[in-house]
Amino acid sequence: MFDAIVIGGGVMGCSTALHLARGGMHVAIVDRGPLCREASGVNAGTLTLHMTRAALVPYAMRAWEMWMDAEKWLGMGVLATQAPGLTLAFTEAECELVELRAKARREQGAPIEVITPERARQIEPGLNHGLLKAGYCEIDGFASAYLTGRAFGHALKGAEVDVLENASVEAIDSNDAGHVVRFAGGVREPLRAKRIVLAGGVWIEPMLAWLGVDLPIKVLVNQLIVTERIRPVMRSVLSVANGLLSLKQFANGTVLIGGGWQGEGDRERGGVEARPQNLVGNMRLAAYAVPALAEARIARIWLGLEAETADALPIIGDVPGVANAYVIGSAHSGYTSGPYMGRIMAQHILGQTPDLPLFEPARLVGLPMPGA
Amino acid sequence: MLLRTLHAVKRGPAVRFLVDGQAVDAFEGESVAAALYAAGMRELRRSPRDGAPRGLFCMMGSCQECLVWVGACKVCSCQIAVGAELEVETLSYREQRVG
Amino acid sequence: MSPQATDVLVVGAGPAGARAALRAQACGLDVLLVDENHDAGGQVWRPIPPGFTHTPGSAPSAEARDGDALRAEVRRAGVRCLFGHKLWNVGTHLRADLIGPEGSVSWQPRALIAATGTTERVVPFPGWTLPGVIGLAAATILLKSQHILPGRRTLVAGAGPLLLAVAAGILKAGGEVAAVLDLASRGDWLRTLPSLAGRPDLLWQGLQWQARLRAAGVPVLYRHGIRSVEAVGSGFEVRTQRVDASGRPIADAAAPVFAADAVTVGHGLVPGTDITRLLRARHRYAVERGGWVAEADADGRTSVAGLYVAGDGAGIAGAAAAGAHGELAALACAHDLGRLDADTHSRERARLQSSWRSSARFGHAMAGLMALRDGAVAGIAPDTVVCRCEDVTRAEIDAAAHDGARDMNQLKAWTRCGMGPCQGRSCGDLAGELLALHVGSREAAGCFTGRAPLRPVSLAEVAGDYTYADIPIPKAAPL
Repeated sequence: MFDAIVIGGGVMGCSTALHLARGGMHVAIVDRGPLCREASGVNAGTLTLHMTRAALVPYAMRAWEMWMDAEKWLGMGVLATQAPGLTLAFTEAECELVELRAKARREQGAPIEVITPERARQIEPGLNHGLLKAGYCEIDGFASAYLTGRAFGHALKGAEVDVLENASVEAIDSNDAGHVVRFAGGVREPLRAKRIVLAGGVWIEPMLAWLGVDLPIKVLVNQLIVTERIRPVMRSVLSVANGLLSLKQFANGTVLIGGGWQGEGDRERGGVEARPQNLVGNMRLAAYAVPALAEARIARIWLGLEAETADALPIIGDVPGVANAYVIGSAHSGYTSGPYMGRIMAQHILGQTPDLPLFEPARLVGLPMPGA
Repeated sequence: MLLRTLHAVKRGPAVRFLVDGQAVDAFEGESVAAALYAAGMRELRRSPRDGAPRGLFCMMGSCQECLVWVGACKVCSCQIAVGAELEVETLSYREQRVG
Repeated sequence: MSPQATDVLVVGAGPAGARAALRAQACGLDVLLVDENHDAGGQVWRPIPPGFTHTPGSAPSAEARDGDALRAEVRRAGVRCLFGHKLWNVGTHLRADLIGPEGSVSWQPRALIAATGTTERVVPFPGWTLPGVIGLAAATILLKSQHILPGRRTLVAGAGPLLLAVAAGILKAGGEVAAVLDLASRGDWLRTLPSLAGRPDLLWQGLQWQARLRAAGVPVLYRHGIRSVEAVGSGFEVRTQRVDASGRPIADAAAPVFAADAVTVGHGLVPGTDITRLLRARHRYAVERGGWVAEADADGRTSVAGLYVAGDGAGIAGAAAAGAHGELAALACAHDLGRLDADTHSRERARLQSSWRSSARFGHAMAGLMALRDGAVAGIAPDTVVCRCEDVTRAEIDAAAHDGARDMNQLKAWTRCGMGPCQGRSCGDLAGELLALHVGSREAAGCFTGRAPLRPVSLAEVAGDYTYADIPIPKAAPL
């Protein structure tokens, strides 16, 4: 009988499991695939405050420290690199957005200032000369998301967490004594645990349904584009005020282009394919922001599924109406804040007071998804 | 012209094209990769981590070893043909020129 | 961005694709034939450069004749062709996105025939990435199409029918061959003789090649491979090694060393599955056909409706069989689109399948000689680069596997093997073989997930001309 079973091996689940184990619990973590192979392994790796929701800034700032220090607490880094963050405005409307977004984040403690295009070009010489204004934050940077699974795998095994990859859960039987986790096709013996943590990203909705809780989670199908290695053309992390560009160049010279342009896909099939007009749009925005990128050749395009709740804030806390059941996920820019969210989730489960407030799942019950 | 075979074909017009600012003798229509190879320029780039010398390998546009710059385009030199006006830059030459 | 419509898009204008296009057109279908090269012919029938002519009096080879005849037929039939176009994406409904000299273009076919042929497999050894070490297929293209020698004195190594063809071709063109190293044994070759029944022309050609090598005093070493190539002065020193039937090196102090100024090496051909993997067709591992291939019926229908495969890209069966295979796929396509009645289909199909079977016999025998041997990767030293694009060594691949990487995609994430611009074409087969040593089988290791772009394309090529106002920016992110 485990003290806790975490279902979902992304950054949220892995961080929760790791902190629970280090807090003395006997923990198992289960994923239907390898660790961190969904959103957590395929996202753009942006560690920014500009595109993090204002309310999440305090969490993201603490998580930023954790990513930069990953070698210490995780044992293995994800090449987290500090770089200045610039969010760009090319139109008057975008200028207003830059001011608005900077102010909202400053109120939450983010050191963001609005700067002139001249100052922006001192920080990032390759910017389009059509730039009107920029938001600037020195607490910014990026990680190589695809390294996350290997890093957490090591740490979890080191903390004696039972890691069950390629094990698909099909049902959870819950009562006051605890939970029984059943696997698809009966390929494994069921596991028993006192506590259960649902950390399934976009699959939190069907997971909650296992427990009889009906709560919609929206699925975003984000397109990502990476170039081959190119000469250094940028040294900051770039976004656009409307939120639809993320752009960075890694130490190896590859440039990763994202920003949430949508492709085709859904929860059942995963990411299916990119939408050509959205590839074109994303690439145009990137090549507009940094004109030197026009020559860069694309090596790979892929898709990642991101979860969003009805009020676009995370769902972190007790599963409504089910004893000893917890849920963690759906933070916009969840990769950025993931390690810290896992820590406070674990604090709560361990009976401690979390360093920062959680995000009460009960608030979402009965709240309709906008546009539904 | 040591490596060009002599008997089986009659080649097109002899031309010179620019490679890293230097003129190279070739024949119109030849693949640029082949022309560079025949001119003794077998090293075309350096590998990313080890800095090891690399040159043409597959001749069919798959391996991406024979890349060169033609203007603003990075292309497999095995997939472009020599012409009198052609100006080609190797990857390291362009990098060192542009920074 | 509105795509133009057509009935069938044929990708690849080699022996299979060109024949498929011709047959589809003859069935009354609207056809588009695309190829990134400047004319039809594929790898095996590459034309000589534009502006070159065959010298009067020099007999063009059978291949040159066949290639020219095919190109002429495609032109005569008025097949609509898009040469010099790179196919970079195919959507799940088969919409095809291409980049050509005039920019982006999209087509929406009702069916797609993928006839993209193969790429070359080279089992890595120290020095295989040095300039002047080139593939066997590459040497074939240099010699046959560009009429350029790989070097003054070339060492030829590997497996399969290209060995003799390249070595003899070098001699015929006035070059020297330092040696020929063949993983196969004489017995392996003799066992292919029955497949040559009905192809006395090929048998005769093979014997002529051997005679030419003998006359020139070229050492031909069976059951030998390259142990290492080292740059020495302006040339190479090639250390050889004996191998057993599985390709595994046998320690032998006496294995000869050769001096050469060029090395051409190839260990077989691997079917191109970029398009079929991108469209998530089911694949199977068939070592005797070259490796992973799309599961397909005898007419080339894959597990994806509307997607057909033909030619060596569907599994190696040789150039002669490729043409028949292309026609079979076109017929199946015409039938499936309702443009060919069942009786005519049956009749034509029977004839073509019979033709395919007799051609494929030789092709399969050659594929057998080229197939990746069980022990082939055993001798790869740990610090040998496997992924050329990213300099990933065997040691790093083994370390990732020890650390728990269970499939090709996890291996890619942990080592960057396959993340470079060749998109796993040069390393994928070898990396899969190495991973299989840890996870038990090629099937367990799997393939790299197919992704767009099918070939690298630049942002400029995809973005085209635009202003900021042209960018369709959706609504702002939540505050």
